[in-house]
Amino acid sequence: MNRKLTRLFAVVSAAAMLASGCGSAASSDNTAQVKGANKEVTIKVFSNLPDRKNGQGLVEQTIIDEYMAENEGVKIEVEALDEEAYKTKFKAYAMDGMPDVVSIWGQPSFLDEVLDAGVLAELNEADYADYGFISGSLEGFKKDGKLYGLPRNTDVQVIYYNQKLFDDNGWSVPASYDDFIALCSDIQAAGITPVAMDGGDGWPMCTFLTDILAKVAGTDYASIVAKAISSGDFTAPEIRKSVEILKECADAGMFQTGFDSQDYGTAMNLFTNGQAAMFAMGSWECSMAKNEDIAEDIRNNIRAFNFPVVDGGKGGDHDIAAWNGGGYAVSASSPVKDEAIKFLNYMYQPTKLSKYGWENGVGMSAQDQSDYLSGDESALQLQVMDMVNDATSVSGTPINDCGPATFKTCIESEIQGVANGSTSIDDFLARLGEACK
Amino acid sequence: MEKLYSNKKVIFTLVFPGILIFLCAILFPICLSVYYGFTDYSGMGKASFIGMKNYEELFRDSAFGRSLLNSLLLAVGFIALQHPIAMIVAAVLDKLGGRGEGFFRCVYFIPNVISVAVIAYLWKFIYNPDFGLLNSLLHLFGHQEKVNFLSQDTAIWSVLLVLIWHGFGWGMLIYYTGIKNIDPTLYEASSIDGAGVGQTFLYITLPLMKPVIQINVTMAVISALKQMETVYLLTGGGPGGSTQFAANYLYQQAFKSFRYGYGNAIGVLFIIICVLVTVFMNKIFKEND
Repeated sequence: MNRKLTRLFAVVSAAAMLASGCGSAASSDNTAQVKGANKEVTIKVFSNLPDRKNGQGLVEQTIIDEYMAENEGVKIEVEALDEEAYKTKFKAYAMDGMPDVVSIWGQPSFLDEVLDAGVLAELNEADYADYGFISGSLEGFKKDGKLYGLPRNTDVQVIYYNQKLFDDNGWSVPASYDDFIALCSDIQAAGITPVAMDGGDGWPMCTFLTDILAKVAGTDYASIVAKAISSGDFTAPEIRKSVEILKECADAGMFQTGFDSQDYGTAMNLFTNGQAAMFAMGSWECSMAKNEDIAEDIRNNIRAFNFPVVDGGKGGDHDIAAWNGGGYAVSASSPVKDEAIKFLNYMYQPTKLSKYGWENGVGMSAQDQSDYLSGDESALQLQVMDMVNDATSVSGTPINDCGPATFKTCIESEIQGVANGSTSIDDFLARLGEACK
Repeated sequence: MEKLYSNKKVIFTLVFPGILIFLCAILFPICLSVYYGFTDYSGMGKASFIGMKNYEELFRDSAFGRSLLNSLLLAVGFIALQHPIAMIVAAVLDKLGGRGEGFFRCVYFIPNVISVAVIAYLWKFIYNPDFGLLNSLLHLFGHQEKVNFLSQDTAIWSVLLVLIWHGFGWGMLIYYTGIKNIDPTLYEASSIDGAGVGQTFLYITLPLMKPVIQINVTMAVISALKQMETVYLLTGGGPGGSTQFAANYLYQQAFKSFRYGYGNAIGVLFIIICVLVTVFMNKIFKEND
């Protein structure tokens, strides 16, 4: 009996050793390491910017390289995935130990669950008093008054247009929603798609809807959306009116055939190839004006405007749909938390993310960029900057990101149905309410 | 040698790795899934036990119902379209002989060796209303209107076509192998007796292929229920959930909606459905025997 017990113990302990071996291997793979007496530090960065040679990814990589050059003994390892894959793996990391510095989104649909799980380290807000953050931009990254992350961009929903195409055809930027519908009709008659829309992903149509709602509800946008989400009742007249306008736009042939199943790249290609006169997207695509892969006569003529005012709407020309979405945070369980926060603070020095972002034309930063005007900016960049500077109000978080993740999934799927007419507006609003409950 | 195989320690040593893999890779995850299916776990933080609530919601969830229906529709498509054609093509290939046989066997199998991501993007381009191949062909034949093959009403059929086309080569190859294993003397005898091509196929090939058909059809039904990658990359379940499939819906709930518990409840129901379908299929084939 004793012999059997001894054998059993040997088998169990061997299995336990095997399991603990696996565990330690996994954890060493996921966390930073502090080695030896010379304090060699490895910081793991988990990023949602897989393209390290262009745009925002290039800016991030440049800062990482500079930090390593300035701090001997510090090694930064980057794992970058595109947004969809990033969010899935983020969740896996949240269960098994997060990398030290991670990309996050300061919106309830993403951050609520993450903060509830306690996986992000608290940051000292006072440290960032001199970092030039735009007023209110940190709010989305807070919970119970405590700061857990920093915003990277100020994103503005715009409608890009091809000015040369407009000039050649005698079209002008619409001053009102009715003008916009009439313009789209003229563009269609010329055999060109009026607006390229990424309807397959759901969220671009939601940010477009946000822009419409900002024009319909004006400064009441945030309170109307918050009330609808907390009560599960989306029958507010402003919301209904906005959805009706979205449907009217689709019914009027504003978007390309099959917009509800086409992805980001396809929609963008329609615009950058000259097959569409306009493209509804966020300001982060301002880098199109500096993208040499786009034909010169198109990239030099890209301009932008906001969704025009709606008859009877409370929002004016300068009430824009803008928000501070993406950003960075530090893992609460990071073994090199201090070094990771030091690196985070380095990234957000006004001369880093904000300056490099501006120089690379990747859109507006969440920090004041007025010191970095060099004269080399594209006309598009300046135009979007003016939109933000002239804004009388900004909407805040887009409607799809205002509620829980279930609401986000629901609205991004159902908005396709309401736009293509297969779901009635009543059913659409009822389903949104259901998703919030 | 016989003594060695009757030694319990040897038996244990040989069987233990297999059992360990089964326990760790299959049974333990299923048990974990059953457990999480009774919780409101979001994938992060703590899980709270909520009893049967996930399952109650699942039975009221119209999106899940539609996704399950789409999966079953795909299974019917596999059985009613893909497999009869695959079997006929396999029989024709068998009679073709020479270099043509090998050539066409490879041609039909090509879609299976292409990655799912490539297949999905290839068909995305083929279906595109602005620059897609199908619309260009229609335009050549004088049809001026752009056709949206991935519209709310037609997307499911377009997706089914891709899935049936993609899996066709695999089914065909298994049938082809089955036909090749049929004793040629049976065909010679039927030929001497004056049987035509149709009669030979119906009375010799088909009955002798029953075990192959059983395996192939069961695998096809299970693969229809498990379908996710192509749909995820081709339509993402849209527009408006019209091409939502059960496995894709599970992923969406667990990883996009932060409803890991609910996703696991779908997974458990999914396992039950797969087991029931397998038992049902086996019963049908047994009765026919």
